[in-house]
Amino acid sequence: MTGGATIALYLAAGVLFIRALGGLSKQETAINGNISGSLGMLLAVAVAVVGWVIQNPGEGRSTGLAIMLSAATIGAVIGQVLARRVEMTGVPELVALLHSFVGLAAVLVGVSTYLSPPEVVQTTAGRTVHLVEIWVGVAVGALTLTGSIIAWGKLRGAITGKPLLLPGRHLLNIAIVAGIAGLAYPFLAAAQPLALSYLLGMSALAGAAGVLMVMAIGGADMPVVVSLLNSFSGWAAAAAGFMLGNDLLIVTGALVGSSGTILSIIMCRAMNRSMLNVVFGGFGTGDSKPSLSSGDSADSGTIHEITPPELGRRLAQSKQVIIVPGYGMAVSRAQAAVKQLSTTLRERGITVRFAIHPVAGRLPGHMNVLLAEAGVPYKIVLEMEQINQDFSSTDVVLVIGANDIVNPSALTDPSSSIYGMPVLEVWKARMVVILKRGMAAGYAGIDNPLFGLENSRMLFGDARQSVEALVAAIH
Amino acid sequence: MPDLIGIPREVLPGEKRVAATPETVGKLRVRNLLVQIERGAGAGSGISDAEYTEAGANLVDDAYLGANAVFKIRPPTLAEAARLHEGALLVSLIQPERNPGLLEALKGRRATPLALERIPRITRAQKMDVLSSMGNLAGYRAVIEALGLFQGFAGGQVTAAGSSRPARFLIIGAGVAGLAAIGAARSMGAEVRAFDTRAAAREQVESLGASFLEVAAKESGEGQGGYAKVMSPEYIAAEMALFRAQASEVDVIITTALVPGATAPKLVQRDAVEAMAPGSVIVDMAAEQGGNCELTTPGAVVLHHGVQIIGYTDLPSRMAVTASRLFSNNIANLAQELGKADTLVVDPANEVLRPALLLVHGKELPPLPASPPVTEKRVLPLPSARPAQNHLTSPTRVAWGSTVGGIVALVVLFLLGRFAPPDFLQHSTVFVLACFIGWQVIWSVKPALHTPLMSVTNAISGIIVVGGILQIGVSANLGTLLAGAAILFASINISGGFSVTQRMLRMFQTGARSLPPTIGGAP
Repeated sequence: MTGGATIALYLAAGVLFIRALGGLSKQETAINGNISGSLGMLLAVAVAVVGWVIQNPGEGRSTGLAIMLSAATIGAVIGQVLARRVEMTGVPELVALLHSFVGLAAVLVGVSTYLSPPEVVQTTAGRTVHLVEIWVGVAVGALTLTGSIIAWGKLRGAITGKPLLLPGRHLLNIAIVAGIAGLAYPFLAAAQPLALSYLLGMSALAGAAGVLMVMAIGGADMPVVVSLLNSFSGWAAAAAGFMLGNDLLIVTGALVGSSGTILSIIMCRAMNRSMLNVVFGGFGTGDSKPSLSSGDSADSGTIHEITPPELGRRLAQSKQVIIVPGYGMAVSRAQAAVKQLSTTLRERGITVRFAIHPVAGRLPGHMNVLLAEAGVPYKIVLEMEQINQDFSSTDVVLVIGANDIVNPSALTDPSSSIYGMPVLEVWKARMVVILKRGMAAGYAGIDNPLFGLENSRMLFGDARQSVEALVAAIH
Repeated sequence: MPDLIGIPREVLPGEKRVAATPETVGKLRVRNLLVQIERGAGAGSGISDAEYTEAGANLVDDAYLGANAVFKIRPPTLAEAARLHEGALLVSLIQPERNPGLLEALKGRRATPLALERIPRITRAQKMDVLSSMGNLAGYRAVIEALGLFQGFAGGQVTAAGSSRPARFLIIGAGVAGLAAIGAARSMGAEVRAFDTRAAAREQVESLGASFLEVAAKESGEGQGGYAKVMSPEYIAAEMALFRAQASEVDVIITTALVPGATAPKLVQRDAVEAMAPGSVIVDMAAEQGGNCELTTPGAVVLHHGVQIIGYTDLPSRMAVTASRLFSNNIANLAQELGKADTLVVDPANEVLRPALLLVHGKELPPLPASPPVTEKRVLPLPSARPAQNHLTSPTRVAWGSTVGGIVALVVLFLLGRFAPPDFLQHSTVFVLACFIGWQVIWSVKPALHTPLMSVTNAISGIIVVGGILQIGVSANLGTLLAGAAILFASINISGGFSVTQRMLRMFQTGARSLPPTIGGAP
């Protein structure tokens, strides 16, 4: 295969990837998009392997091929097992874990490239640029690797969701960035063994930066972090493309990088926060100052409880019901019970719809995935802008394990740390029932005056058990 | 000795409702209260005597005999009042201002009358508010009665045999009954306009899809307890002019204007009736209190210049089955305020009961201190304008951002062109263009698809496997082994990422549409 043919086929693979991203923007074309993506990947790998075989005649060929194929096979099998075993509630964790693999692969490719540089590099300037590319690629890779592992731990609950805010962490971060940049100079000048240790030392620094960055981010901001790491994994791939002089890697990495960036921006807008504020703000429980000082905490009123049979009766008499799911639904795996509830109500001629806040859950679109898993038709699953004006004509709103996204102080209380964030205006409905484990605050760590309103009722307990009791009560 | 409650048959001709249903009898029996029901009391509401006995009531010929308490619907006649057991509790509508002599008769029996029409209209007492439950019913029924006499469709129709426009309704007074009438008329497809002196009614009227009419004169009609107050003569003149003008346009007028304790205001005058097209209908829901229309005859339908004026005073009773159920529930809820065990206890300090207690054992209570207007609901003070997301999207910020960004980009490009090797430049070109393509493609993504998008881009970023492949050498040195490890991890990513995405997307598809599976299936 000639160089021209390789470039043409890489181009085809790049087009397939763009089609994949474009296809994923609509429900109708999403599956085709995913198929385009996998075809593109198949093509790219095939071209790379064939090209490699042509370029490496001689007897070493079989050794290389053996390593390649066995690594790819083992990896593919592990991937399949992970993908099949994962429960839909665990998708955020899986995605975070997979991001870390891309980061790791980027580090490995970077170090490998340093050990055996491709032949294209000849001039001195070219050599310097090449080394800088390796430096950047390894740094981004290491940051993605450790950041994703911490994110994975936080999503699993193995690491606390509360932001860890070291004293002087901004100085520490600056020092680390300075260290990464500063070490590049001796690295460029040094010879093989010493330079390699610089490279590895820098990886450790970048890795520490990743840990610090994600540790300092609160659980409520995880959707942003996951999509940010998604973009990092893309940039890592693009950097690998630069060091290997491979346009396909650059194009694909850039696509993924920019898509992750946009997703992060969308998430940030949904929370009325800037990216800098999310990454460096240490927002969440602990650091922010809730409005308790304003002295009106007595204003939260008294809490009224409601029992499942009572609520069941109320629901059976309603015409319009909206369900607002949150992370609590995912935690107690209540989506199947919720689907059953919605079906039961719909069979009685009651209009049931779902209202999804853009940052509900721990991953962008998390709630949609869970509801789709449970078999809720997506026509009745609406976004915030589509449904927010309908709450005033709704009889009952069920808030299942959500808190900050239905907090009225986001609109009314300028001292609240979530002031200005668009929220679902559930309190306009005739009755709001909040299914909750207890009176704990949401991830943002602030009070929710919704619970004390006249038309609010609390149904305490595990979301799944509560919803199942509700279904039984309606039957 | 538990208290005995008597439920008499209503004596007013045409009144079919009854003040207890088997269900509410059951609720009273749970407290061990005794209930006696006059034979045939439920007949008008489709409830047989047997159903009452089954629920635990005794059938008697005289429900008043020996009863410590009597629950009924209509204000008692003087004859009925005389039959009350000495010192008995009476729960019913009483309307002393329209029933002269009744209060004296009750005093004579040393009775404790609890006037249902005076239960305060506060949130806690809503479940006992018979004016609301009956008003709701009556408003609905008024529309049905009007359409029963009206000779056209309520909703618009376009048919091969000709078209007709939707009927036009004018509803005067947007209280409970007026709102119910608006809702009923709207749901049958009619075009509805409504008028009320209280500005607060506008939102409720508009929420039901009717248009709200206004008069030129500015005056708020907000009275106490959710009722309208009596307006000034100028205002009433302006109102009349409005109704006269409307009368020539509408097909049906339903009037519900009541002022508590007074005769109903005359709002629709003879000339307004004559301005209506023949075949039009007026339902005067205030007929019992004298009527809002000059020409109304209470309890009858009169024809004037081709316009039929309905003056029925028994609208709720025309839906007796439902009306009895709701009225009885209201009373049963009220009974919960009257002690807990097998005796009925009237506590004059109870804020719900106090305004309704006309007498206690025949004695008048000291007049109530004028209460401050009750605010119905704790309304969240919502600013009409949303807090702007200004610090993210303010024009200044955006302008500064793009200016600075542009300068930085130019400087970087210049430096690149000046110093970087051509190879690198070419790669940078590709990189920047690809970033822009990604940027354009992704913005349109639906939020519901964020997770699948992220997992597919994650799979795609496994493209780094190509880097690993390129780095495999011909011998198993360290570089090759590292590259092999990179291939391994990237492959996990590729295979895991694509298949978990596929799994998710399949779930999105189920239920949405059921296309046959693609031949050959996915790779």
